[in-house]
Amino acid sequence: MIHIKAEGLRGAANVLSHNGRNSLTAMFANDETPLGKGYAVYCLFEDKGEKDIKIVRAQLEPGNELEFPSLTPLFPAAAWYEREIYDLFGIKPLEHPDLRPLVLHEGFPKEFYPMRKTIPCDSHVAGKRDYPLAKAQGEGLFEVPVGPIHAGIIEPGHFCFSQAGEAVLQLDAKLFYTHRGIEKAVEGKSIGGALFMVERICGACSVANAVSFCQAVEKLSYAKVPRRAELTRVVIAEMERLYNHVGDTGNLCAGAGFTVPNAMGARLKEELLRCNEKIAGNRFLRGMIVPGGIHRTLKDEDAKIILAQLTRTENDYRLLTQVLNGQDGFLNRIQKTGIVRKKTAIDLAMVGIGARASGVGRDARKDLAYGIYSELAFDICTETAGDVEARLLVRIKEVAETIKIIRQALSLLAHEPETSICSEKLECRSYEGAWGISESARGSDLHWVMLDEQQNIYRLFVRSASYPNWPALPIAMQGEIIPDFPLVNKSFELCYACLDR
Amino acid sequence: MDYHLIYDTSLTFIQMLTIAFLAPLASGVTKKTKALLQGRKGASIFQDYNDLRKWWQKETITSPFTGPIFLLAPFIYLLTAFLAAFLLPLAETGLRLADIFVFVGVLAVGRFFMVLASFDAATAFGGMGGSRETFVAVLIEPVLFLSILLLALRTGETTISGMMGVGGLELNVSGILACTAFFILLLAENGRLPIDNPDTHLELTMIHEGMLLEYSGRLLAIIHLASMIKSLLYILLFAFLFLPLDLPLAAKALLTTIAIAIMESLNNKLRLFKIQGYLLATAGLLLLAVVAQ
Repeated sequence: MIHIKAEGLRGAANVLSHNGRNSLTAMFANDETPLGKGYAVYCLFEDKGEKDIKIVRAQLEPGNELEFPSLTPLFPAAAWYEREIYDLFGIKPLEHPDLRPLVLHEGFPKEFYPMRKTIPCDSHVAGKRDYPLAKAQGEGLFEVPVGPIHAGIIEPGHFCFSQAGEAVLQLDAKLFYTHRGIEKAVEGKSIGGALFMVERICGACSVANAVSFCQAVEKLSYAKVPRRAELTRVVIAEMERLYNHVGDTGNLCAGAGFTVPNAMGARLKEELLRCNEKIAGNRFLRGMIVPGGIHRTLKDEDAKIILAQLTRTENDYRLLTQVLNGQDGFLNRIQKTGIVRKKTAIDLAMVGIGARASGVGRDARKDLAYGIYSELAFDICTETAGDVEARLLVRIKEVAETIKIIRQALSLLAHEPETSICSEKLECRSYEGAWGISESARGSDLHWVMLDEQQNIYRLFVRSASYPNWPALPIAMQGEIIPDFPLVNKSFELCYACLDR
Repeated sequence: MDYHLIYDTSLTFIQMLTIAFLAPLASGVTKKTKALLQGRKGASIFQDYNDLRKWWQKETITSPFTGPIFLLAPFIYLLTAFLAAFLLPLAETGLRLADIFVFVGVLAVGRFFMVLASFDAATAFGGMGGSRETFVAVLIEPVLFLSILLLALRTGETTISGMMGVGGLELNVSGILACTAFFILLLAENGRLPIDNPDTHLELTMIHEGMLLEYSGRLLAIIHLASMIKSLLYILLFAFLFLPLDLPLAAKALLTTIAIAIMESLNNKLRLFKIQGYLLATAGLLLLAVVAQ
């Protein structure tokens, strides 16, 4: 970790980014005033070459103005992180091109910075502030507001379309409606208590969040995760990816009004969720992963259930993809729709399928080789077109890879001796930061944890996979027509809860 | 007093009520077939009656920004649907009411008022739905008249009863082409896939349903009933005049409702600006049918 003063942030970031070869993974602030160190801004860069994340910590001297030079002019990916830092900590990024509020909506009072340690977690506040949205204006243009309440059973998000007829000129999204302040709520909680909440940040990546969080805690303690536990984590995490990818393939078809494959996808996902329930006792595989290892081992009969389900899913999913490939009208809808160019994906430091469909082969399982993934044979699936079809194709290819990984991990697990599944004691270092990362179905989920001397959470920062991908959606929609929005949106499968952490 | 006139009028009146009464059933059969094709059980074929009753019992809420046209349009829409059902000469009567242009025109009046109403609440979704409905209607109508021309050329008549008197299409090249073309028109005219998706909740993609978003309660029930009647009328027209099969009318109508469900399951929705190409191809089919005749 590089320690610098806030004024030198740009220089340090430039060095760490290695002329743009390393992408900005996350940026966040930490209130270390109770420790006598003032505020600090942390920047994380992913170093593919060394399979590591490089961190620079920019110190804001106590007593000085709370501001630091914005990185957004250098790295567009920093835009949201810096707006969030300004919203939640009141630390101002200087020269930020667009410092509108992001997280806090109209109902919050001005100059209220909830993540500061002086604000108690159970504060009740009310106030009034502005939340301006970007709109195009001119003769014949009109505005189509959509949401925050939608017709389907989905989470809230407001989309403001500036339209010229059916063509979308500009789209701005207002998200963070149901922000739960989990990062604040876990402060002072025990590791186990925090894990319970971390698993509930998002239903669709609850395993990925748990793995990232546990990895961060394990790094603080030098705990060695037993091999058996690592293998089980792989199985559980890939089962999560599988049900998501299969379900998302079906959901995409709803965006094009293609009813039969939509129903097929829903059915296949349901089967996988029921399989999850059999092996973990719940449909979203919660409670399986704990710091230091896993909570319960997968027995031989669990492996049999999974393998039988994999064969069924593999066959049925093949049928689903055949239906999609055989439908010219469907291909016509998804080809050249909602294009994200490679340059955009790199600039926004996109992750997951969004990045891989635009030719950026980013995958934390390979790039950072966490856990036991380096021992497993699998490919990173990429496409170059960056359109809806590319994202669908990546998803389809990844289903096959995921099934391959689960089978490998289960066969390794079968030959693994019945050893312990969790390292005994976790003695963690206090007031030291550590990160953990894992590749969820939507991309990498990053957690950064700092503990206090009682081994309770001092600061948790969560950068979920949807966070860097959301800003790509308005860019993908530029020049498209508004009835194609649901299709483009579903191809990214972005998550609201992942922002409302 | 002309005894025959009273007899014929009451018979036609009964026919109109029967069509209105059976319309939700036809819609239910299509929905059930779609569900079965998707591997679902689906709701009962009588579900649409329950839905209508549900809406009828619910409170009707109207936006404060709407004017009288918003309240009036559903009734006009229903009235035109009933009138069209009255004009269709299915019952064997001596009445020679309906020129086919009148039939199509009456239904167009209903659509016109629904489009007006969709703009009335000044919401974005309603306006989008209304403008798209007009866009599609403008494309459908010339093709529809082409199909009428085909029948008129064949029979030398423009009244529906006259056309029916000559009999439906025969099972030959021309008949099959015209049958295919009118079936596509039937789907397009009634907001079915691949033109419009009647089952979607995605407002941004809606055409016909987009116009109805501001409606609730009884007004919504009226609109849905009118749409169902209109849909059944087109099915009957298709079954009577365009389906070159030698079967009883009820069997042909049932076949058509099931065929709609199959078509909706086989296809996804077209990109909005591909609709004109699709309908142009339909016009091409009809021209070929005219030539082949």
